[in-house]
Amino acid sequence: MEPAVEIVDLVKRFGNTIAVDKLNLSIYDGEIFGLLGPNGSGKSTTLLIISTVYKPTSGDVYVYGKSVVKNSDEVRKYVGIAFQEPKALWVDKPYEILLWHAMVVGYSMSDARKVVRQVMEDLGVWEYRNKMFSELSGGNKKKVELAKVFIQKPRLAIFDEPTAQLDVITKHQVWNMIEDLRRNGSTIIVATNEMSEAERLSDRIGIMYRGKLRALGTPEELKDGIPGGDIIEIIVDGPVRESFVEAIKNDIDAVRIDLKDAVIRIYVNKGEEKIARVVDMFSRGGLKVRQISLKEPTLDDVFFYYTGAKLAGDNN
Amino acid sequence: MRSYARGIQIVVMRDLDRFWKYKWWLAGLITMNLTDLFIFALIFNGIVNRAYIDNYLLFIAPGITAIATFASAFSIGREVGVEVRRGYTQYLLSLPLTRFQLSIGRILGGALRGLIYQIPFIALLLILYWSIPSIEKFSIMIATSVMLTISMSSLSITISTAVRSFDLQATMRSFTYFVLFFFSNVFYPDALIRKYFPEILYIIISNNPVSIATSIYRWIFGVMPVEDPLILVIKMIIWCLVFFILGSFFYLRNLMA
Repeated sequence: MEPAVEIVDLVKRFGNTIAVDKLNLSIYDGEIFGLLGPNGSGKSTTLLIISTVYKPTSGDVYVYGKSVVKNSDEVRKYVGIAFQEPKALWVDKPYEILLWHAMVVGYSMSDARKVVRQVMEDLGVWEYRNKMFSELSGGNKKKVELAKVFIQKPRLAIFDEPTAQLDVITKHQVWNMIEDLRRNGSTIIVATNEMSEAERLSDRIGIMYRGKLRALGTPEELKDGIPGGDIIEIIVDGPVRESFVEAIKNDIDAVRIDLKDAVIRIYVNKGEEKIARVVDMFSRGGLKVRQISLKEPTLDDVFFYYTGAKLAGDNN
Repeated sequence: MRSYARGIQIVVMRDLDRFWKYKWWLAGLITMNLTDLFIFALIFNGIVNRAYIDNYLLFIAPGITAIATFASAFSIGREVGVEVRRGYTQYLLSLPLTRFQLSIGRILGGALRGLIYQIPFIALLLILYWSIPSIEKFSIMIATSVMLTISMSSLSITISTAVRSFDLQATMRSFTYFVLFFFSNVFYPDALIRKYFPEILYIIISNNPVSIATSIYRWIFGVMPVEDPLILVIKMIIWCLVFFILGSFFYLRNLMA
C-alpha cells in the first residue's frame, strides 16, 4: 500500500518539553487511522505538524510524497483538519464561517452555498446558521468545526477528538460521515481518547504516550498482543486440585491462573482457540463445569497495557 | 496566477466583512474623529497665531483625515491579537493558502478598511475646501492614502504578533498609537514645531508617516505649501515598504511555532 503520510524521526520540542519524540509512522492511502493516547501524549502536536501549523524541530513528515518542511504550501492542498477546540471568532456566524471556508478551499460562490447548506443540514446545524458563534452550545460549535472538513473533502482528512462534546446520536452520525468521506477517497486520521470511537472507525490504531508510539496494529492485533489478555472464567462444582491447575497451565500455555473457591480464572492468549481444550480437560478430569465464559480485552485494556497507565486505586 | 490572486482576495474580503461587524466601534471611531476635528477647531481657532495658521478648522481637517485613516487601518492589529490569543491563527495556518497569500491578504485587508473609512473624510475635505484637486494631485492623495493604510495595517500586525502577552500587545498598540498621534504635525504646523522644539524632535515629527501624509493632504488642498512633494511621496514609499516587510515577516515568524 502507498503511504499517504510518512512520518520520519519526527521530533517536536517546546522549550525543554519534548512533545513528540522520534516518531516513525506510515499511514496508508485510503485507511482510517486511529491515533490514541492520553492528554499530552503528543497526538495533537503530531496532527498540527502534519497540517503544517507547527514546524518539526527535527525529522520530517511526507504527505503524499511532499515534505511539510520543504513543500508546506503543497501539503496544505491535500490536508483538511477539524481541530480539537473549534476555531472561530465569537462574533462570526456559522453560515458565514463555513461559506468563507468553502471559498478558501476552492468552491465557487454558488457551489459553496450549496455544499455548506447540505453539510449543515446533515449535521443538524442549519437552523443555527445565523446565530453568533459565541451563542452556540459546545456540541454545535464542534459540529461547525467538523463541517469544515466535510465541506472540504480533502485527500487527507484529520479529526482531532471529533466527537468530544457530542451526544450519542450525533456521534454515530459523525462516524457515518467520516466513513462516507473515506468511501469517497479520503485518507482519515482520527485522534481520540475514546476507545469505542477508535475501535468503531479505525483500520489501524497507533497508541502514543509521552511523545512516543507505543503500539501499532489493527484493533484485533493490539488486543491479541497483550500477554494473557483473554480471560477464560470457569465455575465448577467441587474443589480443584493444584496439580490439575498446573496441568492446565502447561497444556494451554496459560500466562497465569487464579483459583479462588470454585472460580478459576485462566489468563491466556487467543482464548477463543483454547476454550474448547479447557472444557475437554475439565470433563476428562471429572470436574463438572457449571458456567464458562470468555472475556476478551477491550481497547481500554490495550491502552492501559501499552501506556503503563493505571486507574486511581487500581493496584493490579 | 489567477488562483493566487483569488486566495489573497478571499483573505482580504474576510477582513473587510468583519470590519462591518463592529458597528458600534466604528460609530465610536467616527464620532471621536469628528469630535477631534470640530472641538479642536472650535477651541484653537480663536487662540492660534494667525501668522502660522489662518483657519484652524481648515488646517486640522487633513490631519484628522490622516489620523482617522491610520486608526481604522490600525484596527486590524486588534483582531490579529485576538486571533493569536484564541488559537484561531492555527486554523488560518492550516488552510490551503501560501504564507505570503495569508500575510499580504491580512495587510491589504487592514489597508482596505482604512481606505474605505477615509472616503467620508475625503468628502468632508472637499466640502470644507470647496475645491476639487487636479487629477495629478488626486492621484497622489490616493497613493498616499494607500501607502499610509498599508504602513499602519502592517505596523499594527507587527505589534500584535511580535508580543505574545495579550496585555502587553494592547499596551504596545496604545503606546504606538499615541506616539504616532501626538508626535505628528496634525495639530501644529512644521514651522512652529521647528521653532519651539529641539531639532531632533522636529526631525522625528516631520518624518512620522502620519505627519508625511498630513503634509501631502495639506499641500493637495492648498493649506500649506511644501518644498518638494516628491520627497514626501518617496518617504511615504520607504515607510510603506519598511512596515510591509516587517508586518509580513513578524506575522509569519511569530505565528509558526
